[in-house]
Amino acid sequence: MPADGGWSRLADCFAELVDLPAADREAALDRLTAGEPALRMELVAMLAADGRTGHPLDQDVAAAAGVLIGGAPAAPPQVGPYRLERRLGEGGSAVVWLATRPDLDHQVAIKVLRDAWLSPERRERFLQEQRILAQLNHPAIARFHDADSFADGTPWLAMEFVPGSPVTEYADAHRLDLQSRLRLVRSVAEAIEYAHQHAVIHRDLKPSNILVTDAGAVKVVDFGIAKHLEDPSDPHPTRTGLRFLTPGYASPEQLTRAAVGTYSDVYALGVVCYQLLTGRLPFDPSGRTAEELAALASQGAPPPSIHLPPGTRRALAQDLDVLCATAMHPDPSRRYRDMGALIEDIDHLLAGEPLRARRDSLGYRAGKFVRRNARAVVAAAAALLVVITLVVFYTVRLRASRDIALAEAARAERVQRFMLNLFEGGDPSAAPADTLRVLTLMDRGLQEVRSLEGAPRTQSELLLTLGGLYQKLGRLDRADSLLGAALAERRARTGDRSPEVSDALLALGLLRLDQARLNDADSLVRQAIMIDSLTRPAGHIARATARTALGRVQEAQGDYPAAIATHGAALDLHATRDSGSAAYWDAATQLANAHFYAGNYDTADSLNRLILAADRARRGAGHPAVAEDLINLGATQFERGNYAEAEAYYRQALAINRAWYGEDHHAVAANLTMIGRAQIRALRWEDAVGALEEALAIRERVFGPDHPNVASTVNELGTVALRRERFDEAERHYLRANAIYRATYGDRHYLVGITLSNLGSVGMGRQDNAAAERYLRQAVALFTEALGPDHSNVGIARTKLGRALLRQGKYREAIEESTAGYQILGKQASPAMNFITNARADLVTAYTALGQPEAAVRYRDSTAASGPK
Amino acid sequence: MASSPEADHAYSLAYEELRRLAQCLLVGERHASISPTTLVHEAWLKLRGGRFTVESELHFKRIAARAMRQVLVDAARRRRAEKHGGGLTLVAFDEGLDAPASTDEQVLALDGALTELEHRYPRQAEMVESRYFAGLSIPETAELLGVSVATVNRDWRAARAWLAAELRCAG
Repeated sequence: MPADGGWSRLADCFAELVDLPAADREAALDRLTAGEPALRMELVAMLAADGRTGHPLDQDVAAAAGVLIGGAPAAPPQVGPYRLERRLGEGGSAVVWLATRPDLDHQVAIKVLRDAWLSPERRERFLQEQRILAQLNHPAIARFHDADSFADGTPWLAMEFVPGSPVTEYADAHRLDLQSRLRLVRSVAEAIEYAHQHAVIHRDLKPSNILVTDAGAVKVVDFGIAKHLEDPSDPHPTRTGLRFLTPGYASPEQLTRAAVGTYSDVYALGVVCYQLLTGRLPFDPSGRTAEELAALASQGAPPPSIHLPPGTRRALAQDLDVLCATAMHPDPSRRYRDMGALIEDIDHLLAGEPLRARRDSLGYRAGKFVRRNARAVVAAAAALLVVITLVVFYTVRLRASRDIALAEAARAERVQRFMLNLFEGGDPSAAPADTLRVLTLMDRGLQEVRSLEGAPRTQSELLLTLGGLYQKLGRLDRADSLLGAALAERRARTGDRSPEVSDALLALGLLRLDQARLNDADSLVRQAIMIDSLTRPAGHIARATARTALGRVQEAQGDYPAAIATHGAALDLHATRDSGSAAYWDAATQLANAHFYAGNYDTADSLNRLILAADRARRGAGHPAVAEDLINLGATQFERGNYAEAEAYYRQALAINRAWYGEDHHAVAANLTMIGRAQIRALRWEDAVGALEEALAIRERVFGPDHPNVASTVNELGTVALRRERFDEAERHYLRANAIYRATYGDRHYLVGITLSNLGSVGMGRQDNAAAERYLRQAVALFTEALGPDHSNVGIARTKLGRALLRQGKYREAIEESTAGYQILGKQASPAMNFITNARADLVTAYTALGQPEAAVRYRDSTAASGPK
Repeated sequence: MASSPEADHAYSLAYEELRRLAQCLLVGERHASISPTTLVHEAWLKLRGGRFTVESELHFKRIAARAMRQVLVDAARRRRAEKHGGGLTLVAFDEGLDAPASTDEQVLALDGALTELEHRYPRQAEMVESRYFAGLSIPETAELLGVSVATVNRDWRAARAWLAAELRCAG
């Protein structure tokens, strides 16, 4: 049999025959098909049929299509075993019928999801999922019976018919008080908790899905349906942002199409709670564009207490604020961890006890090596939009804040790339074979993975991947338990020294790095390297990856020479494998950064120029990666004091980011801020104010006027004003920043302290030392509580306080404060020299004024200027 | 057509998109005639570049043609079931009652014949599908299948006849 099944022969014969006059065909047939009766029969049939008119292929398929596709499907009287009684209503995308089944004693609601065409491949998956839902058996969850699809793909669902009204209407109709409304929320939370434990996420919680019967029974309906109703196509994607408009209840991660999890249900329930308490939604979705809505949502909800009835007790109002704020936090990792935690706090509230959420929000880490405030919300899919909130921690050393911003941006870009790859299905080093299944698994939670007891290798692979995913999304505690489990499983199965164990050790080591547990990180990564050297060939990429990890740990430890050596070794390994690959250039960037931190600006520059050229070639001159390289080149100029050159680089980066992202984007604001800082250093105050105000305007538009990112820019403007000795203006800015930080983080946050300390400087500038003292005392107390008594911020504040006291002639107190500040700052690894010098000078003055010259001598530095300025 | 997870995924997306598009087009235009070729092109514009990788527009159209065929077949089946199942009707019933009763039968018969052709001569079935449901021109078909225009012309003619013969047998 020939390769094409004999077609060519058939077609050639037919072509020859069809054009012959009928009389000559017989003879030709005999000749062509001698000895092949089957072929002859086929040709004869074809010739006969060909003569007919009205061949369907001749008609325009459009006509057929027009006839067939139209209108709404008729409802048959029988849907599976259910008999339709009457139509109950019509929703946005479904028609609901009341039905009965002979063997059931209660009535059933049949929901026919029109406009939700499921291709044959998806129908099976749809059915499987609904079967899982059918196993949910809880008094507060509407019982799910059945699901199937008609022959044309229209899906239908059969579930318990709940004769009730939406929870908000019920509460209003029965005039329920706050406590009773909270109890309703609690009932819902219990039902959702049950579902979560069975690995089912609702995804679409809202009052119309939470029904209450006349008897007061709460029933949640419509689990997981929303997943299948998502519109599979988006309008043309644009880079400046495209989000779905889901009115009111969708969490930020749903709005940006990021991974959805049980925490999304927490958010939605928070919105419902808010609505029950205040009678309104936290964000009014009407008339708002998708962008506005998502920006609002990521900013955080206004506190419900402003809408509560006037007689409400203040303590209760504050607790309700905390409850809603925690449930609806834009960052999933900062929300209630699960429904159980939410229930716990509702119980506390009802009993008049302090909330756990309030306690947890106070412990906020800060310090030089805290690399992130994990607020990464990533959108995959056609929109490819990344929303990353950066909170820049201010310390005295400008370089430190650049470190953090750089690391943040680099990490955020990595997360973005990762999530993009995930959706495209193409990052083999980050996920097992079926990456779409990984995302689904994440949604379902770990129950699914834990149930893979019979397939330990797969399970451990998935645990490792999931752990990495959680880590990238900032949920470190969850990542910890998953990675630990993966490691344990591998050790048990393969012994202590296998490549698989090495992979798990490396992942755990990188997690420890993020957790700032550097000793553990060091030890784990080194173990991985050791095992690699024993079990993997020299050119294996895992060895290079592990080296890079070690380099990062060494950077974090401040051991820059070692980090440089390590990153260099990693780069060499990459070079022998594939110089010019993305991995190679990533490693080169790591090395360049290490040189920068170590102060080897020339080396950093030459490396960065190579990387810049490579990025321009690989990704195009207009790509944000090129902007990042330009910023790095600018940073070395900045550090060297070449502020004009630095500004030139920053402006190039700004142009790229503007073109790529559009005007209203955090990267543009960040670039403008860098330009402003360079201008400050160059003492070009007017220009700096211009750049910073532009950055401020962008941040206000993107994040809203009361967002912490806005506060940091405002703070910066205050500092400029201070240096120009425009004290009223500085005070105005600092007060605004102070108010924002207070509102966002509470009264005890160290950022509030920074603004207080700055207000103290204003006082000093005005020679109003008493006011300065008041502010600075507050700042010291706050820093001590939030950061610990040995933190450099405490040291700086106490030094300033000492000076304020000195100027009021309060010498003993001045000595106490200046000495304390001096000692704290002296212990710092890279101390702020001007503050130390000032502290010393002040102590000399104070001791001299008290008539204790011998004590003064201790602090007199022969090279220092004498006396305070 | 090769089956792989990517192709299946692409097919699902194409199917749903085409269905949705068709529905959108008909809302409010009671007697409009929709061109599947236009639909396929619309779907291509919407789906390309983002959600799945197809090397070229032609490649996509090949997948979409199959999806389009399925869309029409599903619609035909539904209508046939309605006519036989009868009874309860929804308020907003479609205007297709006026249409010739044989349209759905015709489409279903063609679908059956095409399936038979697939079993015997799969490449030619693919060609017919792409041309008929996605409106690929002869040169485009030639490019997609990697053959000459003359071959496509010859094949199209023969395939037409073959299908006609098949339909005749099927009654």
